[in-house]
Amino acid sequence: MANKPDDAAAATSLSRKTPETRGISARQKLLAFSSLVLLIVVFSILSPNFFQPYNLIAIMLATAVNGVLAIGVTFVIITGGIDLSVGTMMTFTAVMAAQTVAVWNLPVFVGVLMALVAGTICGLASGIMVAKLKIPPFIATLGMSMLTKGLSLIIARSKPIYFTNAPSFSKISMGTMFPFIKDFQIPNAVIILFVLAILASFALNKTIFGRYTFAIGSNEEAARLSGINTDRWKIAVYAVNGLICGIAGILIASRLNSAQPALGQGYELDAIAAAVIGGTSLSGGEGTILGTIIGAFIMSTLTNGLRILSVPQEWQIVTTGIIIIFAVYMDILRKKR
Amino acid sequence: MKKRTVVLALAFMLIAASSLAAQQYYIPLISKGFQHQFWQAVKQGAMQAAKDFNVNITFEGPETEAMVDKQIDMLAAALAKKPNAIGFAALDSKAAIPYLQQAKTAGIPVIAFDSGVDSDIPLTTCATDNVAAAAYAADKMAELIGGAGEVAVIVHDQTSRTGIDRRDGFVNRIKSKYPKITIVSLQYGGGDQLKSTDLAKAIIQSHPNLKGFFGANEGSAIGVLNGVKEMGKVGKIVVVGYDSGAQQIAAVRSGEMAGAITQNPVGIGYKTVEYAIKALKGEKFPKFIDTGFYWYDKTNIDDPKISAVLYQ
Amino acid sequence: MAEPIIVVRNLSKAFPGVQALQNVQFDLCPGEVHTLVGENGAGKSTLMKILSGVYQRDSGEILIDGKPVEIHNPRAAQKLGISIIHQELNLMNHLTAAQNIYIGREPRYAGGFLLDERTLNAKAKELFDMLHMDFDPRTKVGELTIAKQQMVEIVKALSFNARVLIMDEPTSPLNEAEVEELFDIIRHLRSQGVGIIYISHRMDELFRISDRITVLRDGQYMGTSRVSETNLDQIISLMVGRKIDETARRIPKGKPGEVVLDVRNLNRGRLVKNVGFTVRKGEILGFAGLMGAGRTEVARAVFGADPIDSGEVYIKGKKITIRHPRDAAKHGIGYLSEDRKRYGLAVGMPVLDNICMTDLPAFMNAFGVLKPKKMQKTSAEQVKALSIKTPSLLQKVKFLSGGNQQKVVVAKWLVKNCDVLFFDEPTRGIDVGAKQEIYQLLNELASLGKAVVMISSELPEILRMSDRVVVMCEGRITGELDGATATEEAVMKLATQRETMVKTA
Repeated sequence: MANKPDDAAAATSLSRKTPETRGISARQKLLAFSSLVLLIVVFSILSPNFFQPYNLIAIMLATAVNGVLAIGVTFVIITGGIDLSVGTMMTFTAVMAAQTVAVWNLPVFVGVLMALVAGTICGLASGIMVAKLKIPPFIATLGMSMLTKGLSLIIARSKPIYFTNAPSFSKISMGTMFPFIKDFQIPNAVIILFVLAILASFALNKTIFGRYTFAIGSNEEAARLSGINTDRWKIAVYAVNGLICGIAGILIASRLNSAQPALGQGYELDAIAAAVIGGTSLSGGEGTILGTIIGAFIMSTLTNGLRILSVPQEWQIVTTGIIIIFAVYMDILRKKR
Repeated sequence: MKKRTVVLALAFMLIAASSLAAQQYYIPLISKGFQHQFWQAVKQGAMQAAKDFNVNITFEGPETEAMVDKQIDMLAAALAKKPNAIGFAALDSKAAIPYLQQAKTAGIPVIAFDSGVDSDIPLTTCATDNVAAAAYAADKMAELIGGAGEVAVIVHDQTSRTGIDRRDGFVNRIKSKYPKITIVSLQYGGGDQLKSTDLAKAIIQSHPNLKGFFGANEGSAIGVLNGVKEMGKVGKIVVVGYDSGAQQIAAVRSGEMAGAITQNPVGIGYKTVEYAIKALKGEKFPKFIDTGFYWYDKTNIDDPKISAVLYQ
Repeated sequence: MAEPIIVVRNLSKAFPGVQALQNVQFDLCPGEVHTLVGENGAGKSTLMKILSGVYQRDSGEILIDGKPVEIHNPRAAQKLGISIIHQELNLMNHLTAAQNIYIGREPRYAGGFLLDERTLNAKAKELFDMLHMDFDPRTKVGELTIAKQQMVEIVKALSFNARVLIMDEPTSPLNEAEVEELFDIIRHLRSQGVGIIYISHRMDELFRISDRITVLRDGQYMGTSRVSETNLDQIISLMVGRKIDETARRIPKGKPGEVVLDVRNLNRGRLVKNVGFTVRKGEILGFAGLMGAGRTEVARAVFGADPIDSGEVYIKGKKITIRHPRDAAKHGIGYLSEDRKRYGLAVGMPVLDNICMTDLPAFMNAFGVLKPKKMQKTSAEQVKALSIKTPSLLQKVKFLSGGNQQKVVVAKWLVKNCDVLFFDEPTRGIDVGAKQEIYQLLNELASLGKAVVMISSELPEILRMSDRVVVMCEGRITGELDGATATEEAVMKLATQRETMVKTA
């Protein structure tokens, strides 16, 4: 065969190329991170008030809830699905926690458990609708979004529920586990975000759960034919997302020291945006937790920075829109290469 | 790419530098919203005051009144800018307490506006005096029905601050000043048009001699208006409303509604900035600042001063 | 001969309205390649899907090692040592080769929840080495060529300790060199005692790789023969129930007319270098070459689908500029792409709409409202002229057969009154009977005075259909042959004439 040597050459060039390709993907992650750093540097130059311990904590605190939601929705998007209910699901879990603690007078940990269980059940329901009833995720979760919003309003009687009887509840978000450095006491909400990110990243890369999440998003039919019970894993992904919404619900309720039943709608779009800015592909199969966290930080840093610079609110919105489009376009550009 | 970033950064720096150059007071106002016409009017008043007193202000509010956490992020960012004073209209007072406490510790005076902040940290609250405004509505009602006869009232609810203040303002004024007028019925319609309409019809049915009817907010006023229309009593019962909205404005214009009370959002914004400056100068002032209200009817509805504060 | 691994007896399977298989028999011995042939719809896929556990049989029996078995699902088939490589590769592009191979049975630790990536890669590497493949198992599958992806599929199948490997049309996306490489692997597996069930439309391959051939027609068993005891004509006549002379040459009707399309010095990127050719009215110009020789790229460049770097295009002696497919269409050039579903047809829409799509403005009144009667009339004419088999004009294209879909694409361009038609691999994925129809269609178009350019990777097809054959290699035209006298050898020689070789020659 005359072509044999060429093929051997092709094969070796392929194996030679692989470490290089890996280098590129590492550089891409660095790119996302460096754009965040660039944002921070620019804002720090433009305003002396930006790079201050107090403000950095404000940014982290503003990232916490959206970051947690974005982690959950990242799993769903990697499977090729979408969840439009994360915002109101979060609210629903917050209301359930408040109902448990403030109305039924049960201990705080029962309230926390209640929020997690409520979130998991909602997620489970979405997952069953998507995987078993074959309802498109967009519609199934839109329905779940309305459902949880309505239930929140009903349970809370359309009024905020305050944790007046349980002052310790606010410590979950606003207390700190590391009170050592004066003026830079990172609130628990932020620590919870980072711990969750590490756990989620581990789950996505090192566990069966993560592997099948990618497999389903990459080629569901292939995964199914490989003997994977794709329906069950899909349901699991939505349920995990629900559980994570429960964590977000606890964080926001604790931060506001109340469950606000009218809040939540629109938050899912911020979470999805964070994931997509972080390189998660809406067509599935691709995404990292680190990217999502960076995406969430890019969004909150941008919002905070523009506020610190006293940019008029209307222009803040315009700028954020441009940055989101730009970030995703950069992602498309690098994929073309 | 890099070059452009640098140029951009320099441009920003210039802007920042120029704004730093003038050693002005900086007062951020965090409102409950910013897209709604009402809040735009508040902003307009605040901007006017900023110009008049030569201070620097920003005006921000979340996209919807449900976004309590976003408002708190705004408050946090405002505090990071080391402002001289802060104007704040809380969506949820309790959620904001830690940050207000921070402001107090840092010696930053807080002026509450609109519905105010449920705390003693704010030095004062610049808002509509609903008691006074409702009392004025009572005066107008007395004038329009000739100082004697039966009137009825529909209020949105008996628990909210505005509901209580408007009810008491109206009722107490009638009782104290117009002995020949009797309030034959006072009901709560939840601010819901339909429910208020049914209530109004029932009241008109049982009091055929009714001469005046007061609706204490937009929904109640529309309900009263509908009830009067459906019972064929237009022109026979004087309707007095509160707030604005397209339907109410149209009814005032056509004369079906005699007139209504409107708050003065421009005044709210102006007074908030004005009193923040007074606080910075160490002046003393009361715990509540009335930002004023207007009576509007067919004759003055197109007055620019009035149309500026009415919303569709 | 050794005892057969699989024996199938009296197998029947019906779907609503179709008897897909009727009393079919089949057997496979270890260490043999047993090819299954038949036209589309003959029941090959159904049989394969029953063996691999995707479908359940209605009646009959399947014996493995002489024992009757039930194959309830793909898992069960794998446990019995039966693996299938589907025509559409079932790989996950975002996962690595090793991750794909062991999907669903990853080496794990810590109670089965954590992945042992190191063992995973080592095991995959072992398998690749066994087949003498130099391959990094950590490469993402999406970054591999189709041929390499297929290798991953084969390795995946073997990782189940497969004794039976079913390959459904494995060579259709491969070029000659890759096919040879695949055959090497198949031979290697055969020598290891693996039984291989092979399905292909490429008749020439059957005789190169098979030991035995079984023919199905309309769900019925037509017979099994050893390769050494049969020939192509026999097999084809069994398949279609009539004799088809696959090797008959086209006889041009009269002399070809004037030059319609004249392309000079066309350049575009790496795969179109200084290309020049002419096509005459009423002739079929064959474009031969190996996969990746640049034939499709030439067609796309002429058609305006990709911007050209330089070059001139003349239509009937007049120089024209083509920047966009719109321009090409305006000048009467049509391009029928290789991938009909992606580029040529809106498969979810009815026949009527597809036929009228390229020339919608002609079916609109002054207000931009469509004229349904005119659309109906035109598409009915085309359906009749091309004898497109469709129950109605409103049938969705996706429900038509491959051959009829191809005809719908042709109809689209005929509506536009094209003079020059580029056909890119017009018979790919089409069964033998439908191929005949396409050939007939091309001949008819030529005799109608159209200038036809046919790009094909199948040599017999090129030789059979072309008046002239242009051969390309690595972006250059390496020669032109007269269709009447060209031979496979001559074409292959030109197709492998690489530039470096030309220089030294």
